[in-house]
Amino acid sequence: MKRRNFFWLLKCSLVLLLLLQLTGCWSSKEIEELGLVAGTALDLEKKADLSEEVEGHEERYPNRVMITITNQLITSQTTESGKKTGAPQQKSFKNVSETGDSILPVLRKMILKIDKRAFAQHSKVIVIGEDLTRTLNLQQILDFFLREQEMRLSGQILIAKNNAKKTLESQETSVIPAFHLFQITKSQERTTKILPPLSLAKVMGKLHSGSSFLVQTVVSEKGEVKFAGAAVIKGKTKKLLGFLNEKELEGIVWLTGKGKGGVVKSFDKATSQPIIYEIKSMKSKIQPRIVNNNISFDVKIESEGSIAEHWVPSGKPFENEFLKKAEKTTEKEVESLVKNVLVKTQQNYRVDVAGFGNRLRIEYPRVWEKVKQDWDHTFSKIPIKYNVNLTVKDYGTSGSN
Amino acid sequence: MKVSHKDRITTPQAVIVLINYILAAGILTLPRTSVEKVKTPDVWLSVIIGGLIAIIAGVIMVKLSQQFPGKTIYQYSQVLLGKWLGGLLSLLIVGHFFTLAAYEVRALAEVTGFFLLEGTPIWAIIMPFMWVGLYLVFDGINPIARLFEIIFPITVVIFLLVTFMGFEIFEIDNVRPVLGLGLIPVLKGIKTTVLAFLGPEIMLLLTAFMQKPNKATKVILVGIAIPMIFYIITVIMVIGALSIDGVVLRTWPTLDLIRSFEIQGLIFERFESLLLVIWIMQIFSTFTITYYAASLGLSQIFKMKMNPFMYGLLFIIYVIALIPKNINDLFKFGDLIGNAALVLFGVLPLLLLLISKVKGGKT
Repeated sequence: MKRRNFFWLLKCSLVLLLLLQLTGCWSSKEIEELGLVAGTALDLEKKADLSEEVEGHEERYPNRVMITITNQLITSQTTESGKKTGAPQQKSFKNVSETGDSILPVLRKMILKIDKRAFAQHSKVIVIGEDLTRTLNLQQILDFFLREQEMRLSGQILIAKNNAKKTLESQETSVIPAFHLFQITKSQERTTKILPPLSLAKVMGKLHSGSSFLVQTVVSEKGEVKFAGAAVIKGKTKKLLGFLNEKELEGIVWLTGKGKGGVVKSFDKATSQPIIYEIKSMKSKIQPRIVNNNISFDVKIESEGSIAEHWVPSGKPFENEFLKKAEKTTEKEVESLVKNVLVKTQQNYRVDVAGFGNRLRIEYPRVWEKVKQDWDHTFSKIPIKYNVNLTVKDYGTSGSN
Repeated sequence: MKVSHKDRITTPQAVIVLINYILAAGILTLPRTSVEKVKTPDVWLSVIIGGLIAIIAGVIMVKLSQQFPGKTIYQYSQVLLGKWLGGLLSLLIVGHFFTLAAYEVRALAEVTGFFLLEGTPIWAIIMPFMWVGLYLVFDGINPIARLFEIIFPITVVIFLLVTFMGFEIFEIDNVRPVLGLGLIPVLKGIKTTVLAFLGPEIMLLLTAFMQKPNKATKVILVGIAIPMIFYIITVIMVIGALSIDGVVLRTWPTLDLIRSFEIQGLIFERFESLLLVIWIMQIFSTFTITYYAASLGLSQIFKMKMNPFMYGLLFIIYVIALIPKNINDLFKFGDLIGNAALVLFGVLPLLLLLISKVKGGKT
């Protein structure tokens, strides 16, 4: 009986101890005290006058590349000021910049400037400046962001032409530029000039596999921020090799068949008037072929769509003849887009960014094992045939011109 | 000490205990550990083969237990091998159970401390968890089985919901080609995937608690097939989203899958906390069943009451859980338990079954 009492007491004390758990969260953080990081911009710092930043390390590690990091913060103050009417309009975000030679120490340096705890769970974009990606390996730049558990892997990567910091600025007070950029990455439905979104989750596989790839480019011009073409990252060096313009990017989207919508403008030969084809669906099949150890590719692009606009005086969409003509001119246009980008990637940049290697890996895995080491080089000499086949399904509510 | 009548469990309960035991810490790391070995997207084939091997091992253990109705391995091993050798084997099995319990507790502390409760000290995470476990195992197998019956459907629903939301970032090309480099890579991954199915050994004692012990083979088949489906979905979805090159770099790839997408327009945009919730419940179930199995073992070996052993083990498990110095140590600790289990439950039951056949079995 005595023994039982002892255990009963023990049980009771355990239960009482459990009560302590109800007092609340151990490491809670109040939202008023947080500065939500909406986006981050990374730039190469060119000014040499930064000796105090690296005091101590300066002599041992001279010539370290300097990075300027800009965090876009949303705090309780910035959101409140947006609501108050009558008060002078204040921006709904706050950009904070600091400079150093690695990421986290710089971010921590920001603590000296701001009273809020930076909280990165809601970070949507990371914009990397052109110069920085030319000088530093992307893997090293992103290492912190891939390691930190507070960064969600759903954040998007963008590369800025010129200056990345400027892409996180806006004259409009109500807009949060980082969220704005994030929303644009999702608008692939209606244009072929945007790449499929590239999140941190996707980029780590690409970096590790050693293949070359494209990153969406964003540019800030006269206070306006817009998406413009794509940046080519070379697989071997993991650095920026160059850019593709919007036309070339369209060629890539057609080649990969990853587009979800958009338009193609071509010109009617006889009248030199535009015919606009709106894409309803897009499909592409890259078929690798191997004959006597020689690799080649056949690309078959198919699309269905409609005539969304045409300025041709004699064009009568009620007649199939005109539809055929529209298909032909549009096909020509798409072919030239594709040809254009193939020349650029195979001859100028000598990298495979349209996923030809991936198709070879799937269809001929053993061949791929042999060529993957030097794939970009091999690819630059491989013949590629392509064939575009479009179908005009309808022409909207108007049959006449 | 025979198993008392109120401690019987039904066949579905046995299935659920087995499933909840198998699903544990491993599901968060399985895509990485298996891709590291296989290096092609064929990992899901390794998972299937691993599951089949686990089924075979499980069936052997069930057949062995069925030779001695109403008795657990701790009791009949002494009959088969004599008092000392049988006792030693039982102690080894008890050791397996409580080190596994300690491993699960530590894995839980690492992941929740990292993703959910940053800044909370490790003891503050472990202790309440273990006390609740103690509270559950006090009253034997029946309450354990009934709690598992509550946990299991929640796990299934949330798991399927959360993983299939990842379809947004799924790329079929990442899981192709199938058998591109032949069968050899698949075979290389089998050892890893077999270890993910650690759990059928519970049948060595669970068979004794079953109302219908003759259905134990069925328990093994269903109880391993369901985790196998879970694992196949996990590896395919994770590799499809992150690609094999991405998966090998991630510490907790399954969690990263859920961290890689946001769904706008629903009440929740992010689901990693939901996944962690069911994962914690699964760890809890694995912890309690191993904890119970170890205490039961000690009480049957030394023919004493169970309660003192429960308190004692609580302390031992806590100490063992704190041994690994860092996360790599923890993973190594897990491998060690797995390797020991391969010998303990892959080879020994077969030997015991042969001995029992030679000796004439039923006594």
